[in-house]
Amino acid sequence: MKSNGLIVISKKEFRDHIKSKKFLIIFSIIMIATITGMVGGAVDYNKQIQNYAEQMAVSEDTSMFSSYWWTKPSVMTIFNNVGTIVASLGAILGIAMGFDLITREKESKSLKILLSHPIYRDEVINGKAIGGTFALILALIITFVISMALLLIFSIVPDITEVQYILLFGISAFLMIFSYFAISLFMSTVAENSGNALIYTLIIFIVLTGLFPMLISGSIITVLAGDAPEPPDTLIMRSYSTAYVSASVTVSDSGEISEKSESDPYDTEEWRNYEEESMKYWQKRQAISDFFNLLSPTNNFQYISSYLTYPQMYKNMYISNSIFVEDGADEPEKTSIFDVLGDLMKNIIALIAFPIVFFGLAYVKFMRMDVR
Amino acid sequence: MIEIKNLVKEYNGIRAVDNLCLNIDGGEIYGLLGPNGAGKSTTILMLTGLIMPTSGECLIDGTEVSKNPIEVKKKIGYMPEDVGFYSNLSAYENLEYFARLYGIPEKELQDRTDELLKQVGLYGVEKTVGGYSKGMRQRLGIAKAQLNDPSIIILDEPTANLDPQGVADYRSIIKQIAKLDKTVLVSSHILSEISKVSTKIGILQKGRLIREGTWEELSSDIENKDLPEIRINVETKVPMPQFNHPEIISADYKNDDKTAAIVAKSDIRDEISGILYKNNVILKNLSLDATTLEDAILTYYSEEVPEL
Ligand SMILES: Nc1ncnc2c1ncn2[C@@H]1O[C@H](COP(=O)(O)OP(=O)(O)OP(=O)(O)O)[C@@H](O)[C@H]1O
Ligand SMILES: [Mg+2]
Repeated sequence: MKSNGLIVISKKEFRDHIKSKKFLIIFSIIMIATITGMVGGAVDYNKQIQNYAEQMAVSEDTSMFSSYWWTKPSVMTIFNNVGTIVASLGAILGIAMGFDLITREKESKSLKILLSHPIYRDEVINGKAIGGTFALILALIITFVISMALLLIFSIVPDITEVQYILLFGISAFLMIFSYFAISLFMSTVAENSGNALIYTLIIFIVLTGLFPMLISGSIITVLAGDAPEPPDTLIMRSYSTAYVSASVTVSDSGEISEKSESDPYDTEEWRNYEEESMKYWQKRQAISDFFNLLSPTNNFQYISSYLTYPQMYKNMYISNSIFVEDGADEPEKTSIFDVLGDLMKNIIALIAFPIVFFGLAYVKFMRMDVR
Repeated sequence: MIEIKNLVKEYNGIRAVDNLCLNIDGGEIYGLLGPNGAGKSTTILMLTGLIMPTSGECLIDGTEVSKNPIEVKKKIGYMPEDVGFYSNLSAYENLEYFARLYGIPEKELQDRTDELLKQVGLYGVEKTVGGYSKGMRQRLGIAKAQLNDPSIIILDEPTANLDPQGVADYRSIIKQIAKLDKTVLVSSHILSEISKVSTKIGILQKGRLIREGTWEELSSDIENKDLPEIRINVETKVPMPQFNHPEIISADYKNDDKTAAIVAKSDIRDEISGILYKNNVILKNLSLDATTLEDAILTYYSEEVPEL
């Protein structure tokens, strides 16, 4: 027999959030940033579309080059425009919503009186999570509706794939913000007061958004992955760069990829060994960088946002990473949502795992907390 | 009915509550008296299921608290010491929230809340609790403790921050509650707060119950002891004569000599009543000052904690 505590607490928490000044202020800033970002993005997008239409009209002859560069611009470019702002402001919103949820109860001495009611302790922490979730969902729905209205004002009508992309973008934004909410809620159960909870959360936020990108781009990754394998002595550096990067991946007009191996001189045992080792090395490097990316909800969200904007580009990058994809693998014009989900699976799982882990920690800590 | 059996609570190996046994019958107003750190709040927290005992058990109407805290919490109205509420909500909104947690039906909720707010003098106060004084919060706490119409009310230091009017209000509330045949447990380190309303008093010292009894029993304990100073209050219908007794250290006459506060070396109440009788002065009140008694009881017992 459960008590009715969960519903009552969730409702109160939800109401507290949407009435709180910090929530309203940060949400307003996000709204303003989104609207300005989207208006700018929409204007650019309409220009690009116009250019694209002109280009299509002019060059009916379909050279590979032109079709590669003149793919129809995606509506997602508009969203990607606001992605960076959403990433940082959203994280702040999540932090602001969570960091004092438990410490404030301790500070105002209301926790003891709350727990003296016929409710289970987990209903308190779950209710806080649910209330926060609904407040976030409400904020995102409002943002989504306004975004859609803006698109329509600029007479941009996204097609079904684009709508799916936009939804995925929104869900990722939610998960990213929710991750920071979970981190700060956890800190609120650990810290002795709200001030400390906020400091701890900000430290984690800075590590996740500032330190990890540094690790990814910096020399630290080289330390972790080791040095790149040396090309065979017999070959000169110039050939190394052209051959290795296999820059000759192109998408033909029909969407086919062809890879031209330009070189007989490289067709030696030694070279193939090197090529293989090199591949392994760069894959390892990529894996390390991907791993760090997954650990940061912000980076993860930004990756998803960019991917959704330029799925073809990411697909190609992916292919060039694994050189041994068969020639002429099909590359459809529009990457379907399932392909996208397949590619982004790791990122999405990480974004889901993050809040689950931190919420789990907060739960365990809260259940054991001394009420005095 | 409250039963506490061999209750122990240790913090880092130190016993805050030490093998406590206590029974409180239904309808009783029990005063738990003890100096700071005696273990009053710790005992109450275990009774209300907010902390787990190290060993021993608490039974509320036969239900063991640590085994079935939810059932017990439904029966108890509790006001913690240093009580706090949601500072962004008004008194009404706070009680409304708690009433919902108790599952009080929405249609009864408003009447119940209004009635209690009237009782503690907070009805119609619109401002949020964040702007309340400590005393106002405590009044709200007393209202909150009755919200679920509990059969057992537990108040931890309910008068700690109340002004004289607040204390008087509190006493009349307790008397009203007593008429409803509820069991009340009140803790305090001030004897006078407890003595006036309690049907029974337990003295807690270093986590142990060292003496239990009615107010009369406890005061008779020390009546014949040598105490450094005794304060006696005298009240008469007509002006009284100035006392002249070797035991009197000082005497302060007020109210046209109809009241006097006398400080004496010993309890000379019999002598005083004799003098008044000889002078044909009708006596209204002749009592030992409660603060004196409280000091006396506490010093008396703190010196004589029996080793178990
Ligand atoms: N969380 C804790 N950790 C360690 N010791 C504690 C803790 N809580 C209470 N104590 C100790 O337990 C003892 C009893 O404390 P308690 O609060 O029950 O006393 P009290 O009788 O309510 O005193 P007061 O009149 O000051 O409220 C004290 O010595 C206190 O230091
Ligand atoms: Mg106490």
